[in-house]
Amino acid sequence: MNTNNNVYTVIYTTVIVVVAAAILSVAAMALKPMQQANIKAETISQMLMAAGLTDTDALSRMSNDQILSMYSEKARAAFIIDAAGQKTGELNTEVSDIELQDNLKLENKNIASGNPSLPVYVFDKDGEEINVIPVYGAGLWGPVWGYIAFNASCTEIVGAYFDHSSETPGLGAKIKDEAWFRDQFKGERVNFSKPDDSFDIVKGGAPAGVKDDSQVDAITGATMTCNGLEAALDTWFKAYMPFLMMKAEAAAAEVCCEDGCQEGCQDCEQTNNETVQEG
Amino acid sequence: MEYISLFVKSIFVDNMIFAYFLGMCSYLAVSKNVKTANGLGVAVIFVLLCTLPLNYLLDKFVLQPGALSWLGESFADVDLSFLSYILFIAVIAAFVQIVEMVVEKFLPALYSSLGIFLPLIAVNCAILGGSLFMQQKEFLNVGEAATYALGSGIGWWLAIVALAAIREKLAYSKVPAPLKGLGITFMVVGLMGMAFMTFMGISL
Amino acid sequence: MNEDLKKTLLNPIFKGNPITVLVLGICSSLAVTVQLKGALVMALSVIIVTGISSLIVSLLRNSIPNRVRIIVQLVVVAMMVILVDQVLRAYAYSIDKQLSVYIGLIITNCIVMGRIEAFALGNKPIPSLLDGLANGAGYGMILVIVAFFRELLGSGTLLGFRVLPASYVPNNLVILPPMALILLGCIVWVQRSIQKDLQEK
Repeated sequence: MNTNNNVYTVIYTTVIVVVAAAILSVAAMALKPMQQANIKAETISQMLMAAGLTDTDALSRMSNDQILSMYSEKARAAFIIDAAGQKTGELNTEVSDIELQDNLKLENKNIASGNPSLPVYVFDKDGEEINVIPVYGAGLWGPVWGYIAFNASCTEIVGAYFDHSSETPGLGAKIKDEAWFRDQFKGERVNFSKPDDSFDIVKGGAPAGVKDDSQVDAITGATMTCNGLEAALDTWFKAYMPFLMMKAEAAAAEVCCEDGCQEGCQDCEQTNNETVQEG
Repeated sequence: MEYISLFVKSIFVDNMIFAYFLGMCSYLAVSKNVKTANGLGVAVIFVLLCTLPLNYLLDKFVLQPGALSWLGESFADVDLSFLSYILFIAVIAAFVQIVEMVVEKFLPALYSSLGIFLPLIAVNCAILGGSLFMQQKEFLNVGEAATYALGSGIGWWLAIVALAAIREKLAYSKVPAPLKGLGITFMVVGLMGMAFMTFMGISL
Repeated sequence: MNEDLKKTLLNPIFKGNPITVLVLGICSSLAVTVQLKGALVMALSVIIVTGISSLIVSLLRNSIPNRVRIIVQLVVVAMMVILVDQVLRAYAYSIDKQLSVYIGLIITNCIVMGRIEAFALGNKPIPSLLDGLANGAGYGMILVIVAFFRELLGSGTLLGFRVLPASYVPNNLVILPPMALILLGCIVWVQRSIQKDLQEK
C-alpha cells in the first residue's frame, strides 16, 4: 500500500485526531466529577482548617464526602457581598449541592475594577460564630491564597490557612507547611485605620507576644513570597473592610444596647423592637 | 511599568533554564560553541514570541472553561481545558513546520544558519513550557503574554550563549576524566544558576 | 530472542541510561526532584507514557504516512500524557498540583519521542513496549536518586517522614534549582568513574 499519497495522508491524520479526541473526551467526562469533587473538598478543608474546626491529621483520614458533610454541618450560612459590604446573594450549604465562590483569581481582578462579588462563609464553632474570608495574590512563582477566620465581631483573627501553587519547597512553601506561621495570625487584628496597609508581615521584626499590632513574622529566605502574601492580605482586607467594619460596629452596638446606654446607638431601637416582636 | 517588570523578571528571575530547567536537552547538546548556540537561541526567541501569543488567544477563546461563550449562550458551559496540551503542541509543531518551509523557500541564507535548529525546537521544552506557564500565570492581555514570551526567549538565549562561551574556554582546562564533557557541564550550569539566583530579590 | 529482550530491558537502566549517557529528557526531570514523592509519581508517569506510546506507535508503524510521522507521534504522546494527567487529577490531586506543568512537559520529553523515532518505528510491539518501559525506568531511577538526596539533605525527611534528627539544620541550598544540576553532575561522575568506556575525550 502506498502510504505517501495525499488522500491517504489526510484521511489517516483525520482518523488519528478524531480517535484521540474521542478517547480524551470520554476520559475527561468520566473523570470530571471526581476532579471537581477533589477541588471542592480541598477548598472546603482549607476553610475548615482556617476556622480551626479540624486539622491536617484529621483531614488526611477523611474522604471527600466526609469533608463535604462536615462543612454542611458546621456552616451557618454562606453569602456574597458587594464592594460596599452589602449582602447580594446566598450560597447553598446543603451537602447535596454545596455552592462556593472559589474563583478567587477572577474576584481578584474584580476587586481591582471595583465591582467584586466576595464570599463570606459563616461557621459555628462550639456556639461561637466564625466568619471566614478568602485572600488571593501573587507569590514569587505563582499565585498564593488562603482563608482567614474572624470572630463574630470580625475584630480578631482566630485562624488562618495559606496555600500556593508553586512556591519554593522549604522556603516560600512554608506559608503552607509550617504551622507556626499560620498560628501567629491568631489573636491579631486588622488595622481599620489604615485601609491601604491594614496588615504587615515583617521580616524578623514583629514584636513577640504583642497580639494587636497587625504584624506577624515573615519566613526567613522567603521574602518575595511573604511580600506577595502581605500585598494579598492588604488588598483583600481592604475589599472586605466595609463588611468587617459593619460587623464590628454592630457588635459594639449590641454590647452598648445590653449595657443600656442609649446615646449614639442608632441600632438600639431596631434591635429592641426586634426582640419585642420575637418575644 | 508592569511590562518592564514582567520583562526583566522573565529574563532573570523566572529564567527558563536556571529556574525551571526547560529546554535542557538542546541546551546541553548545542552549547559547544558560541556561534551555533547563538543561532539556536535566536530561533527559540523567535518561535516563543510567535507561538506563545497564539496559544494565549487559543486558550482564551477556545480552551478555558466558558471561553466559547462568544459562540452563543449554549456554549458557555463547555470546558475544553483538557485538550490544551495537545492543541498547544499542535500549534507549535505546525508553526515550526510552516516557518521552516517559508524560510527555506524565500530566505535560503537564513535557512542555512537557522534552519537546522527549527526541527529541534518543536520538541524543545522551553517552547511548550512557555505556553503552559502562560496558562498558569493568567495574563490579562496578549501584550503581557508577548512580553513574557520575549523575556523568556531572551533569558534562554542569554543562558545558552553564556554556557557556550564557558564551554569553549573549558576545553583548555584540566578536568578529571570522568567529569569531562557532560559531568562538568552540569556543574557549570548549576553554578551559573546560583549566580542567577542573586537576581531573585529584584523588585521593579 | 529472550537474550535480546533482556538486553532491551536492562541496557537503558544503567549502561545506556537516557539521562546520564544519552543526555535526553533532562528538561522536566530536575524541577520535580525536590521531594521524593513527586519524583516517584513523575517517574511512574514517564514509564507509563513511554511504554504505552511506544506500543501504540509500533502497532501503527506500517500504516503511518512518512510525511506526517512527527505529528502522529506527537498526537499519540500528547494523548497519553493528557490521560495520565486527568487520572492523577482525579485520584492523586495533591501530587498533580505539586507537579503542575511538568506533567504536561512529558510531551516534549526527548526520551519519549527519541525512543519512538529510534526504536518503536522499526520494531515489533512487544520489544517496543519493553524498550519504552525500560527507558522510562532508567529516567525514573535518576530522578529518584536526585530526589532522595535533595529531600534528605534539604528537608531532613524522606517521603515526608523525618529521617534525620531534629537537630539537623536543613540545607536550603540543596532545595534550590542549581543543586539539582550539581547532584546530576556528581551522578555522572560516579557512573563514569565505574564505566571508563563512557568517558569523553
